[in-house]
Amino acid sequence: MSALNLNEDQQDCLQELINVAMGQASDQLARYLDTFVHLKVPSIEQVDAKSLSNSLNDEQMAVAVVSQGFFGYEGIRGEALLIYQPRDSDRLADLLGYEPEELSVEEQIIDLSSILTTTFLNVFAGQIDNQMSYSAPRLLSSTKSLVSEHLHQLSFNWDLALKIKITYQVTDYSFNCDMILLIPESAIINIKTVLNRILDEF
Amino acid sequence: MGSSVLVCDDSNLARKQLLRSLPEQLSTKTQIATNGEEALEILRSQNIDILFLDLTMPVLDGVGVLQAIKDENINIAVFVISADIQPEMQSKVLALGAKEFLRKPVKTEVLNEHLTKHGFL
Repeated sequence: MSALNLNEDQQDCLQELINVAMGQASDQLARYLDTFVHLKVPSIEQVDAKSLSNSLNDEQMAVAVVSQGFFGYEGIRGEALLIYQPRDSDRLADLLGYEPEELSVEEQIIDLSSILTTTFLNVFAGQIDNQMSYSAPRLLSSTKSLVSEHLHQLSFNWDLALKIKITYQVTDYSFNCDMILLIPESAIINIKTVLNRILDEF
Repeated sequence: MGSSVLVCDDSNLARKQLLRSLPEQLSTKTQIATNGEEALEILRSQNIDILFLDLTMPVLDGVGVLQAIKDENINIAVFVISADIQPEMQSKVLALGAKEFLRKPVKTEVLNEHLTKHGFL
């Protein structure tokens, strides 16, 4: 087992921290859209560069993606991707209730993504006595190559990454949005340190 | 007093957090279940006074457990302890018969307050 793999306890601990964070993010989303958001158990996996690029291609049957970087203390950092289906983008405009001339659908998607990402990560950080800063959210074009390209521009080493996937399912409107958090190789060891500290308390 | 208690949560950490927060005098016997199905098996075969129930779980989720408890007329006090804090979810579990909805991670004082309110302390 590589030093970068999470053991069972670390995985469990991370999942519980994520559960609490996604609970509050979905509450925000539910209030924002005035609807109910169905939550599933999040998936956490370790992926190498090739699987990462393959799995992202799978996620992207022509979708809109909003990417936002996060940076905390103790070397906790990574990239959050919010992934939407194109038919949902149109629905989203209705859901958000903006006037068409007010903001473009793209701006609305960026808005919503940033709310979800920062709510999630602020709650996550609060639980580990950390605090996050964020880069400006960026809407990536729907073509696959651009997302991979974008990730490679981030100057992280993606030979190995921790991939966390959370699905927010808005039941009333059959609207789906996946949040994918990518923790680059260099930050995994820092996450493990934090998880071990929490586990030591129990 | 001494009540029989079942803690149902898929997370080991969450179970430990809760077990640590439980007042010592509450329980003579505390059991654990890691998903809804496991919890129901225990509830069907034993007399349990209090169930602390998570909602987002694999196999069978907390709402499924509450529905089964209602359908099978199992007599038990359920305290839902969940991170899914949407108001609609809170009303849903209360409508299904849960005594209380408590927000995760739950604090000892909050737990004490609600256990006292329902006569378990």
